Amino acid sequence: EFNERNIRVSNGINADHPVGNGINAMQTCLDEKSGGKLKLTAFWGGALGGDLQATQALRSGVQEAVVTSSSPLVGIVPALGVFDLPFLFANSEEAYKVLDGKFGDMMNEKLDAAGLVNLAYWENGFRNLSNSVRPVNKWEDLQGMKVRVMQNNIFLDTFQNLGANATPMAFGEVFSALETKAIDAQENPYVTIDTSKFFEVQKYVTETNHAYTPFLFLFSKAIFNTYTPEEQTALRECAIVGRDEERKVIQELNKKSLEKIKAEGLEVNALSPEEQERIREKSMVVYEKHKAEIGADVVDGILSELKQIRGK
Amino acid sequence: MTLLVFIASLLGAMAIGVPVAFALMFCGVILMWFMGMFNSQIIAQNMIIGADTFTLLAIPFFILAGELMNSGGLSKRIIEFAIACVGHIRGGLGVVAIMAAVIMASISGSAAADTAALAAILIPMMAKAGYNVPRSGGLIASGGIIAPVIPPSMAFIVFGVAANVSITQLFMAGIVPGLIMGLSLVATWLVVVRKDNVAPLPKASATDRLSATGRALWALGMPVIILGGIKAGVVTPTEAAVIAAAYALFVGMVVYRELKPKDLPRVILQAAKTTSIIMFLVCAALVSAWLITAANIPAEVTRYIAPLIDRPKLLMFVIMLLILVVGTALDLTPTILILTPVLMPIIKQAGIDPVYFGVLFIMNCCIGLITPPVGVVLNVVSGVGRIPLGKVVTGILPFLAAQICVLMLLVLFPDIVIVPARWLH
Amino acid sequence: MQKTIDLFYKFLELLLIFLLSGMALMVFVNVVLRYAFNSGLTVSDEMSRYFFVWLTFIGAVVGFREYGHMGVETVVALFGRKGRIVCMIVSNLVIIGCSGIFFWGTWKQLPINASMSAPVTGLSMAWVYGIGFFTGAGCVIIALERLVRLVTGRVTEKELAAFAGEDMSLEHLSERG
Ligand code: NA
Ligand code: NA
Repeated sequence: EFNERNIRVSNGINADHPVGNGINAMQTCLDEKSGGKLKLTAFWGGALGGDLQATQALRSGVQEAVVTSSSPLVGIVPALGVFDLPFLFANSEEAYKVLDGKFGDMMNEKLDAAGLVNLAYWENGFRNLSNSVRPVNKWEDLQGMKVRVMQNNIFLDTFQNLGANATPMAFGEVFSALETKAIDAQENPYVTIDTSKFFEVQKYVTETNHAYTPFLFLFSKAIFNTYTPEEQTALRECAIVGRDEERKVIQELNKKSLEKIKAEGLEVNALSPEEQERIREKSMVVYEKHKAEIGADVVDGILSELKQIRGK
Repeated sequence: MTLLVFIASLLGAMAIGVPVAFALMFCGVILMWFMGMFNSQIIAQNMIIGADTFTLLAIPFFILAGELMNSGGLSKRIIEFAIACVGHIRGGLGVVAIMAAVIMASISGSAAADTAALAAILIPMMAKAGYNVPRSGGLIASGGIIAPVIPPSMAFIVFGVAANVSITQLFMAGIVPGLIMGLSLVATWLVVVRKDNVAPLPKASATDRLSATGRALWALGMPVIILGGIKAGVVTPTEAAVIAAAYALFVGMVVYRELKPKDLPRVILQAAKTTSIIMFLVCAALVSAWLITAANIPAEVTRYIAPLIDRPKLLMFVIMLLILVVGTALDLTPTILILTPVLMPIIKQAGIDPVYFGVLFIMNCCIGLITPPVGVVLNVVSGVGRIPLGKVVTGILPFLAAQICVLMLLVLFPDIVIVPARWLH
Repeated sequence: MQKTIDLFYKFLELLLIFLLSGMALMVFVNVVLRYAFNSGLTVSDEMSRYFFVWLTFIGAVVGFREYGHMGVETVVALFGRKGRIVCMIVSNLVIIGCSGIFFWGTWKQLPINASMSAPVTGLSMAWVYGIGFFTGAGCVIIALERLVRLVTGRVTEKELAAFAGEDMSLEHLSERG
């Protein structure tokens, strides 16, 4: 029941990212289950096009798979905007419970309706803020700071709402913009701050944990439906094996990157629990503003599920 | 085998006269069919995604700036300025041509347009002064091809997007090699011109010189804005391009008053047409680039040249020879677009600096613009200067040789490119 | 009939001028806003890109009509009249095939693009990617008309010269490098 399949997996990131470890673990698992018949061929650094382009190729049945962050896909599945909402998850355990549970399944159904099979939620990591002006201990410290954000309305509103001057900018231009002080701050996971050498041009890092946008391991529904049930099961199970490995590696790397950032002499601080609560409350207007386009059921659904988790 | 199918279908279609853009689509169709994955959506999606890229927006704006520079009288002021500076020395008009070519290169990215402006003004002057006309034409053609090497450069933008290399870094890395190209031409010119019996121009008086400089000052401000803005990180290349266009418009209309409002539609339309010709080609190339990647052709090529991977200089030498050969028959943009997806993975694997490679690659493609049988800049000089094509080709030989020597020098000593690039960035 | 066609291309040229000016204006205003007033229009980033797509693919048809797309004419130029006609017939067949596939692919992709909206403006991507209909159909029609004239022996010498890359204007040369 296993046929020879060459599965092209497109990635925007490079092969040395923990996703690479995840794909290797997934391949080992697939080799065992399929006797070497299911082969993953990974393309790195956007060699097969950007995440959005690759996702569209999946929907038209041109390409098999992509590992992409949820943010670029809101134009296709507006509900994915829920993961862009600020200060949604407090820690990774919460994220795992929500994503690997009922709520994750509900989002998978929405992706399925758009022609995309989500095999598993991989990890991209919490996003944190770095800047060259002052330590950020409360949201008021962001006042007037020029912060680079992704081209994404929720991120723009989040930082504008906190009094910052949010500027959308292509990732490739961020380093020199920080260096020349054209912008003061940027927000990315520690691993990115490390690998993109932003620490060379920044002084302060604040563990804001303001967004956790997961990676999705998406498969083309048109192609997935032509596979045998055994092949489908193997892919689903092995994507979870890969997920666990990737999450493990990225957590370790995150710690290492933070150590390196500290060793480079940057001042790292975390928001106190009270300030964390204040910034979260301050950000609730962003939830209200984008609730309609994301879908009220989705936003309320995740909030009630989080309440349940936190209540235990 | 896939590589063979790719080359054969592309060359076959081009040989029977199919425009390169359609030939690239055709070879994409053949590749899909050969790989057993024919799907018309691959063509449709990749075609359009190519133009949906913010970085490439710099192309129409730089083209527009170049068109405005030539219609707005900026080129004329630059040439007059060069004449006032160096016109009086022995072989002066040739030196003027190169000096003006370098300055114009720092404003425009089009070799053909720059060459046309230079040839229109300087070839009649050089003929009158008694210089060997074909040789003068050859010099101007070889000076014109500096335009894509010194920023701004459409060629660097296309390469940067196709190879995923920083355009700002490419721009900064192109400056010194472009100047070296210019110097090598001046040196060659001063040697070969000794045979010509020419009376040098009278030396311009200090006041003449000052007034020529004053008139050219507005034009000379443009490279400062473009490079300064990008270097300081104040603007992205796309923003710099649009500022350059606005500046050229202002200078041409308000300061020099050579550009009339009624000329504007014509100038903009020409820039728009040039843009779509280049961009349609870029888009078609992205179709075949996607299929080249999906078919893993670079891995196939790497197998053939595996012994060279550990010897980067030898590898560079072989690749440069290959590009010289391809460049005899193919224009600048198609060469970049066809070869980049095949060569880039090899360059990375061999550990060659992609910015360094990009500069030499573009320089080499530019040399292709003056090599027969297909050499656009040759045609421009022949047309504008009214010199038979064959004679331009003879006239160009010493300068062609000089530029190939510069290229080889940079292959042997990569630091000539890498060190100043690092310093400028 | 010819008048109507010429008028149509005049309209396309006006459209090209509008698109390029519009793009330049949007990006320029954004730069000024960003550096002078510390603000910006997020819309212009996106809209200028879509203008660029339309400019490219409308201009591609206009360029095709004027024999503006660059080719390698070295081999074709070696042939006599008959040889050139044969090459031109085959070449137009190839173009019809490719443009037809482009059109067909755009049609098959339409549902996917219609169900995706632009992040900032919310514009349906069918408007952007649908330009493939225009370019695909435009090139097929132009090439078909040429094919008919080639087969019925009504092709002009001027066209054959243009096909073989002879007598190129300065504008055409500057489009090539
Ligand atoms: Na230039
Ligand atoms: Na050539």
